[in-house]
Amino acid sequence: MTCEELRDHLDDWVDGGLPAPQAREAEAHLAVCPSCRRDEDELRQLLAHAAALPRSVAPSRDLWPAIAGRIEREHAWPWRLAWGPAALAAAAALVIALATWAVLRPTTGSVHTVEIPARTGPSPVSGGSTRIDPVLLAAERDYELAANTLLAALQARRNELSPETLAIVEKNLAVIDEALAEVRRALEVDPANPGLSRMLVATHRKKLDALRRVMRLSTAL
Amino acid sequence: MEDALAGAVLGGRLIVIEGRNEDDRRTAEKSLVDQARAGDLLAFERLYRENVRKVYALCLRMSSNAALAEELTQEVFVRAWRKLDTFRGESAFSSWLYPIAVNVALSERRSRRRREARIFSTDDLEGFDRTEGRPAPEAGFDLERAMAALPPGARAVFVLHDVEGRTHEEIAAMLGLASGTSKAQLHRARRLLREALRS
Repeated sequence: MTCEELRDHLDDWVDGGLPAPQAREAEAHLAVCPSCRRDEDELRQLLAHAAALPRSVAPSRDLWPAIAGRIEREHAWPWRLAWGPAALAAAAALVIALATWAVLRPTTGSVHTVEIPARTGPSPVSGGSTRIDPVLLAAERDYELAANTLLAALQARRNELSPETLAIVEKNLAVIDEALAEVRRALEVDPANPGLSRMLVATHRKKLDALRRVMRLSTAL
Repeated sequence: MEDALAGAVLGGRLIVIEGRNEDDRRTAEKSLVDQARAGDLLAFERLYRENVRKVYALCLRMSSNAALAEELTQEVFVRAWRKLDTFRGESAFSSWLYPIAVNVALSERRSRRRREARIFSTDDLEGFDRTEGRPAPEAGFDLERAMAALPPGARAVFVLHDVEGRTHEEIAAMLGLASGTSKAQLHRARRLLREALRS
């Protein structure tokens, strides 16, 4: 092994990662080359410094109050745990129900009487005073309008779907709407909470997205 | 050496017990994480107190700035809280925190470079005055300061490999590099630090 080759392999040699044949060559070279031995000593000295550095350093102040404050602000509402995943699961279930129906539907059509609610969920804006930001309420109105348009279109195709599929659609829409109602109630209590505002908009989006996908599936039947 | 602390739930209350056994520690950590996941901030505070010094040391070495390292440490624990569901208890909680800390430090560095079009300041190392553990073998060489002067990529790999004892594979996964790139960065860092050691 030459000096240049030794320098190329010095890291692996010192870290113990050099394969045995090369390790023997490196050892033989170091035994007769003072310059490379100096490099090796220098590197081992550096690694000894590094290994001796403390792996624990105390911050100058207690960081916990600031951390706890941020966490508490993000989790100032218990509804997140209760309804966030439920709304997500319901939105997914809506799509799965229609996809399953698309695959397994009978070849001859039949008429069913199950009703999809023409409008789901409590109105966010109907009557009464509210502490919720008017901009957020306006956004809610837009989401509700879009959702109702899709629901009306789905309603028009209800006879093409099985009662089981329709029941799943109805049940999961109710879950999403309950999640929306919970977030609205939380917002009435804490209207300035940006996390709740984001959650409300995100839940509306999930509902709309699920309905769009349901419509795409049902029109493809 | 830190005491191995273990926590357990008894009758709905957090009980802190001491233990030296790694299995005890893992079980206790998992129990604390489960409590924290259920919304128990007290349990999460316990995890914070157990791990904050390690996380802060890493953030300080990655940033070379004591005030910034404190901000980064806060961010690490807030993100850890959000991601508690992903902790499976297969590794120590501190190991699980590492990639989060590295990503937080690197993200901050990227955004700061974009903002300021410059890299880290290298003159704010007073945080190391509060170090705990063994002293450096030779007082004449200030490795912390020499590390702070390294290019950020080389410094990150050196800190993770030679200070924290991570493998190139682990570092590559954390930093989003090829393992060979991690080795090349380590080689560069060691070469520069040896030069500093000589001077």
